[in-house]
Amino acid sequence: MADEFPCKLTLHLPFPTPALADTALRALSVDQELSPLVRRSFTLVAPDTTAESGAKNVLQVSYSATTNRMLRVAVNGFFESVGVVIGVMRELDVDVVDMPGSESLEGAQGLEQVKV
Amino acid sequence: MIALGLEGSANKLGVGIISHPSPSKPPLILANLRHTYNSPPGEGFLPKDTAKHHRAWVVRLVKQAIRQAGVKVEDISCICYTKGPGMGAPLQSVAIAARTLALLWGKELIGVNHCIGHIEMGRAITHAPNPIVLYVSGGNTQVIAYSHRRYRIFGEALDLAVGNCLDRFARTLMIPNNPAPGYNIEQLAKKGKHLIDLPYAVKGMDASFSGILAAADILAAQISEDLDDAKRLKAEDGELVTKADLCFSLQETVFAMLVEITERAMAHVGSREVLIVGGVGCNERLQEMMALMAKDRGGSVFATDERFCIDNGIMIAHAGLLAYETGIKMPLENSTCTQRYRTDEVFVAWRDQDTASS
Repeated sequence: MADEFPCKLTLHLPFPTPALADTALRALSVDQELSPLVRRSFTLVAPDTTAESGAKNVLQVSYSATTNRMLRVAVNGFFESVGVVIGVMRELDVDVVDMPGSESLEGAQGLEQVKV
Repeated sequence: MIALGLEGSANKLGVGIISHPSPSKPPLILANLRHTYNSPPGEGFLPKDTAKHHRAWVVRLVKQAIRQAGVKVEDISCICYTKGPGMGAPLQSVAIAARTLALLWGKELIGVNHCIGHIEMGRAITHAPNPIVLYVSGGNTQVIAYSHRRYRIFGEALDLAVGNCLDRFARTLMIPNNPAPGYNIEQLAKKGKHLIDLPYAVKGMDASFSGILAAADILAAQISEDLDDAKRLKAEDGELVTKADLCFSLQETVFAMLVEITERAMAHVGSREVLIVGGVGCNERLQEMMALMAKDRGGSVFATDERFCIDNGIMIAHAGLLAYETGIKMPLENSTCTQRYRTDEVFVAWRDQDTASS
């Protein structure tokens, strides 16, 4: 029987800790794939997959789609979401949220003095 | 209790932090930040570009909100985000950030109905006792009244929202979208002198705007400066009809329709107060026309300023915190977004059963 989803891609996204990788997995897996022509699965793996032990801090995402175009569209969209997750982790985690930001706030409404 | 709210169902990204110090005290706004994505004149905002804008702004606005409010992560009770209704990609781009924050900070995540956010913020700011709510924006047009733990929809737009009609007409006339197309139409309308005939489409408790938009677009073509003066549309007194006249005529027509369906609901329910929420609620002419009607009925109109009637994060934080305080919990796996989310789908557990009390 022919594989209906022949176009495949597996991504490995390393995170500093297994907890962060798990956070990313949980945040990203909530949204269903928009198209029935794309399938996706998540799992956590260790960096060196040949080793038995090792902290599972790598998010492995496996895509399979009916066409390369569907695959590309889905994966590009996924990376945009990953960008948000990483941005939140980098700037807003409990240990860094109080630190000044580096991005411009020009054009934002409601700006006031910071209290920190 | 303190809540962080994230809003991004249309082209405004809002981040708000609200405090509910106690049930008997009014809520405190600790931060209310917003950044708007404007498309060039003649164009509307598309989901993909809007989502890109929200992804680029959400982190810096949350950071600024936390720092302005001077709150610590441990002080925050929950993260609230707009579950819907709205545009799919923008909603999802904000929900992703909300989920990640909830996980990193170990907080409950509450999905909020955008319309309920507007209503509850309007009630909190204006202290309107039990009004008919007219919710009018680019994406929604509903006449709502509270009854037995639900916000019931008494009347609505059948095809497109009144704000969408105005925004699309602004595109026809190539009116700038900055700060908002509706705002620019309102300013131009103030210079209008001639009331040009447009269809008036009230259907019982509901209203229809697509035919009016089509008629307005036809009129716009007839005032084009490319035409000879002889061919251009003229008013009854022989003067050339201007863009200002068309803006004025469109506003007068659609706002009169909104006043009618609101009045019909007031008569049905026996209420004398009107609360106008949503971006179109900023329009002073609409407020004026509604006030004339309400006054005739011995009542009054309540409205908020642009900080609250335009989409914002504080209304999401407020409505979400109200739900959280009743013990509502939502598992992370269910923290999806949905483009269609009816106002009456939400069980309003935080209000009394009886209509007359709060």
